[in-house]
Amino acid sequence: MREKLTNPEDVRTWPGTIPVEYVYTAGVAGEAYLRAIKERGCLAASTCPDCNIDYLPPRLYCERCFAKTDEPRDVAARGVVETFTVAHRDLDGRPLEPPVIYAFVRIAGTAGGLIHRLGDVEPGDVHIGLEVEAVFRPPAERVGSILDIEHFKPVG
Amino acid sequence: MPERVAIVGVGYSDVRSTTPGLSYKEMMYEAAVRAYADAGVNPRKDVDSFICVSEDFWEGTSIFDEYVPDQLGGALRPVHTVTGDGIHALACAAMLIRTGRARIVVVEGHSKHSDIRTPHHIHNFAFDPIYHRPLGAHPYHLAGLEMNRFLHVSGNTREQCALVVRKNLTNALLNPRAVYGAEVSLEDVLGAPPAFTPLGELDIARPADGGFVMVVAAESVVDDLAGEPVWITGYGWCTGASAVDSRQWGEAVYARLAAEQAYRMAGITNPFQDLDFAEIDDSFSYKELEHLEALRLCRPGEAGTLLEEGVTLPSGEFPVNVSGGSLGVGHLLEATGLHRVYEVVLQLRGQAGPIQLAEVERGLAQSWRNLPTTTGCVIILERS
Repeated sequence: MREKLTNPEDVRTWPGTIPVEYVYTAGVAGEAYLRAIKERGCLAASTCPDCNIDYLPPRLYCERCFAKTDEPRDVAARGVVETFTVAHRDLDGRPLEPPVIYAFVRIAGTAGGLIHRLGDVEPGDVHIGLEVEAVFRPPAERVGSILDIEHFKPVG
Repeated sequence: MPERVAIVGVGYSDVRSTTPGLSYKEMMYEAAVRAYADAGVNPRKDVDSFICVSEDFWEGTSIFDEYVPDQLGGALRPVHTVTGDGIHALACAAMLIRTGRARIVVVEGHSKHSDIRTPHHIHNFAFDPIYHRPLGAHPYHLAGLEMNRFLHVSGNTREQCALVVRKNLTNALLNPRAVYGAEVSLEDVLGAPPAFTPLGELDIARPADGGFVMVVAAESVVDDLAGEPVWITGYGWCTGASAVDSRQWGEAVYARLAAEQAYRMAGITNPFQDLDFAEIDDSFSYKELEHLEALRLCRPGEAGTLLEEGVTLPSGEFPVNVSGGSLGVGHLLEATGLHRVYEVVLQLRGQAGPIQLAEVERGLAQSWRNLPTTTGCVIILERS
């Protein structure tokens, strides 16, 4: 039923691409988060009044009890490394030199957090539980994106 | 009392690292022909409904569900697609039969991964577009994060993850369906180039092409069919939060909850005692250990010890991934769960050839929808 072929270019194929573009709506809670980053150099969280859980990034609703959350409030962009990895490959699979450290940072005083890069630290000096804080771009360069944070660095 | 449901026919299109000679439709046709011959059914007359699993971006075609009926013998018949793992579709088939709406249902899943030129970009496209994707990281950084936390909280070790790789690649050497069988030492795995620490290059399941078709039938028609039935006695599925901030880092909660549903349905109270073997997700080495614990096949933190003691080897008390798993066979995208079910069916029928286990009555298959998901499915299969 089939020939022994190992090179896809040996038989006729048709190369195709799907050019897809979107604008993603941040929403009420998402805009509060991105504005806190851009305008005040901090993060934002919203609290479920019933569960007393602080969501970061903020959300309009509580995923546990489905209640509407309170207005987002500003939160300092510092927390603890809950887990980290040293990435040796870029998105296309090519070697990353130097490697990039990614961490999930649990933000202090909230139940939430975010994944971001770690900087100003060597991979060998990172450990779970390390206290870190965000390094923001200068206010004039911020656009309202998580990339307005350059990276997180060890506190002190 | 709803009817009992059985898998009565299975077929596959050869698992390979690349399949340049066949289109995905021809692969599906090949798997379907084998499954229908095994079950002794004519799809144009006997099958009441067809269920496929696919994800448009893996296929490269939007509204891909329009492209599936003809090669399955399902043109102008009831057909629908589940954008989930193959075990999702098997659960749908069983429920469709138990409603009385259908007696025979066909389930299909395939991977034509070798057609995809930018798989990591598709994976990255599954990340949150505002809060995560702008980092532009290779999607497997999330596996590195998961693995590091899992080892930290569970006490399992990097070396035990390497043992998973050695076990599954070794198992795969004997499985005719496996692409990546190899003899590797612990040193090979631990000494492989670091990828997303603590994850190394050999800890990551490599993709493969392949397709699976299964015929599912009500008990009332099983005796009229040729295929040896394997009974579906339990299933469950569950999805956690897409957000990285509210997931439970270090524990596969989705697998634990999916298993609870399946165990309750099948009347299983002590999974390790009540089941004989399992084919579970090992898309990354640590996942086999994390899933073993989530499925309550051992206590939290003990999966690595179970492995070291040989319990999960083919010769052990509770073999896990005798097939070689995704590490040894290759990862088959949405068809991965169906491949695991296929292996369980062969074992229960006594048709697993060189990898046949002795005296197995009841097995489990589990899937995880891979990064960045928190979705898992569990199915319980029995011989009688």
